[in-house]
Amino acid sequence: MGTLLDEIIEYGGEVFGKEHMETVRECVQCGKCTGSCPSGRITAYRTRKMIQMARMNLREVLSMYELWFCTTCFTCYERCPRGVKVTDIIRTMRNIAVSEGHMSFSHKKVATYVFKTGHAVPIGEPQMKLREGVGLDPMAPTTQKFPEQLEQVREIVRTTGFDKKVGFDWETMKLREELEEGK
Amino acid sequence: MEEEVRIGVFVCRCGVNIGGVVDCEEVAKYAETLPGVVCTSVNTYTCSDSGQEDIKEHIKKHNLNRVVVAACTPRTHEPTFRACCEEAGVNKYLFEFVNIRDQCSWTHMHEPEKATEKAKDLVRMGVARSWILEPLSDSEVPVRREALVIGGGVAGMQAAMDIGDMGFKVYLVEKEPSIGGRMARFDKVFPTNDCSICILGPKMVEVARNKNVEIMSYSEVESVEGYVGNFKVKVRHKPRYIDEDRCTGCGECASVCPVEVPYDFDEGFGTRGAVYIPFPQAVPLKAVIDMDNCLRSEGKKCKACEKACGRGAIDFTQEERFTELNVGVIIVATGFATYDPEPRHDYGYGIYDNVITTMEFERLLNAAGPTEGHVIRPSDCREPMRLGFINCVGSRDLNTNEHCSGGICCMFNIKNAILLKEKRPEISCYIFYMDIRTPFRGYEEFYNRAREIGIRFIRGRPAEVREKPNGNIVVRVEDTLKGVVREIEVDLLVLGTGVVPNPDTERISKMLKIPRAADGLLMEAHPKLGPVDTVIDGVFIAGCISGPKDIPFAVSQGSGAASRASRLLSTGRAVVEGITAVSDERCIGCSLCVDVCPYGALFLDEKRVKVIEALCKGCGTCAATCPTGALDQRHFKCTQICAQVKNLFAIA
Repeated sequence: MGTLLDEIIEYGGEVFGKEHMETVRECVQCGKCTGSCPSGRITAYRTRKMIQMARMNLREVLSMYELWFCTTCFTCYERCPRGVKVTDIIRTMRNIAVSEGHMSFSHKKVATYVFKTGHAVPIGEPQMKLREGVGLDPMAPTTQKFPEQLEQVREIVRTTGFDKKVGFDWETMKLREELEEGK
Repeated sequence: MEEEVRIGVFVCRCGVNIGGVVDCEEVAKYAETLPGVVCTSVNTYTCSDSGQEDIKEHIKKHNLNRVVVAACTPRTHEPTFRACCEEAGVNKYLFEFVNIRDQCSWTHMHEPEKATEKAKDLVRMGVARSWILEPLSDSEVPVRREALVIGGGVAGMQAAMDIGDMGFKVYLVEKEPSIGGRMARFDKVFPTNDCSICILGPKMVEVARNKNVEIMSYSEVESVEGYVGNFKVKVRHKPRYIDEDRCTGCGECASVCPVEVPYDFDEGFGTRGAVYIPFPQAVPLKAVIDMDNCLRSEGKKCKACEKACGRGAIDFTQEERFTELNVGVIIVATGFATYDPEPRHDYGYGIYDNVITTMEFERLLNAAGPTEGHVIRPSDCREPMRLGFINCVGSRDLNTNEHCSGGICCMFNIKNAILLKEKRPEISCYIFYMDIRTPFRGYEEFYNRAREIGIRFIRGRPAEVREKPNGNIVVRVEDTLKGVVREIEVDLLVLGTGVVPNPDTERISKMLKIPRAADGLLMEAHPKLGPVDTVIDGVFIAGCISGPKDIPFAVSQGSGAASRASRLLSTGRAVVEGITAVSDERCIGCSLCVDVCPYGALFLDEKRVKVIEALCKGCGTCAATCPTGALDQRHFKCTQICAQVKNLFAIA
């Protein structure tokens, strides 16, 4: 693979199709995306800048903290006057960032829930009560209810090497990052 | 065969354009081996004088009766080589063009060997076709020395005036009650800020005064039949309910009319009565009754205007009339419309009172407009202190129109901001832009002037707007040069709406059979070399009907179209190419071809289809449709095409 831009098109192309990703070249830097961004109102996230850095092959974008501030609300995607598939491009950039080891602590933390329970958002006390209230089994029929199935999820995690990327320690069931910092 | 076929093949290098990829010498060498080929030649520029001389010399020396040129595209160069053959005594339809540039050197520039092989294949096919080409002759049709100009905007007026000045009769058909078009509505015009109607008004009068120009206002072209030199045009005159000979345009009738309706000339901001004078400088300066809104259409017996008119010019008995014209040429100058932000509610237009379009703003600025030149905002009629202007609304956006309005909408907004800021320096003006396009003389200086007097330019396409309880509009935009998201509060927001086709464009396109481009406007014959011509002989276009244009551009196109049209008017004849459809006795009169012909060139005459050669463009649609093979396309006969196809697969 060549430049970051090629990489984004190639990488995202596997999922969304190359044509979809090629739209990144259509950007005219008008800023409609940034102005529309609900996250950008309260964070330093500038959608237009992310796209420009991708177009200019500035790899440092991958390690930028802001990359993780997109809420994937798709407002920019809908409004873009050039038809740039903004959100999908940002998501692809995140995938590349992760594959290069850039991942925010909170996202890693979410990953640990998947490793532990099979869910990014596991069912807890409040949800169980809610379920009971409407006459449902407090536990949904998922990996949380059938822990033996959880092993399959973990198998996928191990096979894809996702656990290593995140830096998960199976013995302590914690992130190495947490262990080091004694969190 | 009565005559021996003697073909000469001329391969062009076109500098390195072809020669840099295709091995032209090898192609020529190969061509020599083909049946019928008696000589070949390779030139660096076959289209140059020396290249053409080479062809002529070969024709004489080898007694050639067929010429094949393997070079660029027939679109630009076929006429050159045809003329060259003609000069050397070979019928121009015995010339065959093989395109080894677009189809070989350009498309396969990284594979020179394969490109050369393909060039050989194409030459072989061309030679096979040239074997059975038949000599044809062009015909001539007489041209009636009268012209029709559709649309009385500034482009149409110029065209009509120029043709009239050349001494030919012109009919200028305008659907509105007055000529003048869009320009009559503007306040000032960039980049010199002259008063628009002050410079247009005298021109309108001049058109009316021209002996050869007959203005048909409040009229529309209903149908057009015929072909170059002989168009039969039906014009529908809408009833004005006014005796034009008696009306002096005094406006007494308008002042007593009890009806009040929004006036579209004022973009709906002002009102007019059911009877009204279009505007003070209107040509013709005659009243018009809009019967849809007149109380009489509701059965009431109002006679207010009739009583007020001292000259007895009101005539409620008038009815729609039709006039049949017979003209030699037609110029289409039906103009444009501005993008309507209402259906999509772009930036809250149609929801928030204080969001208006540029054309509406233009009428507010205009001293003859509904507010006598006072810019006020619709919600509370206060004079705005802070104004926002958004460029590219409805243009440069895949969700609406992809094209750019050619810089007019940039200039428009800059002009309006300058006019207001110069009048009231205390106000703040913001122009939100993606790119500023100021391409012509004086335009960049105009942009600089705007910045010098303190108009703020913010580079960013506004994301959204919201209304505050006091009616102010908050524009949310990323200042992309700073990378900062800003919320700018303005009292009045003006949308720079782009150029789009007007609703008549589709009808005109179908009526005259002129194709439309991707932007929905009419297509010119060639974007560079035939900007006012169309694919239909004898029909020309001028002004914004073929894309966004500023006033000087539209005026030059009006003159350009007039000049192109006058070639036919002054010679009184038009040449019709020999490549036309032809039908034979196999025709069963099913008339499928009549239905598919895009030019209306075929008709059924007693169970047998006939071709009007002056209308036929030689597209071949009919020949492809004919179930019995009765129709054939001269110069592209089935046998000729089959010969080409067969030779594609022949062993090289």
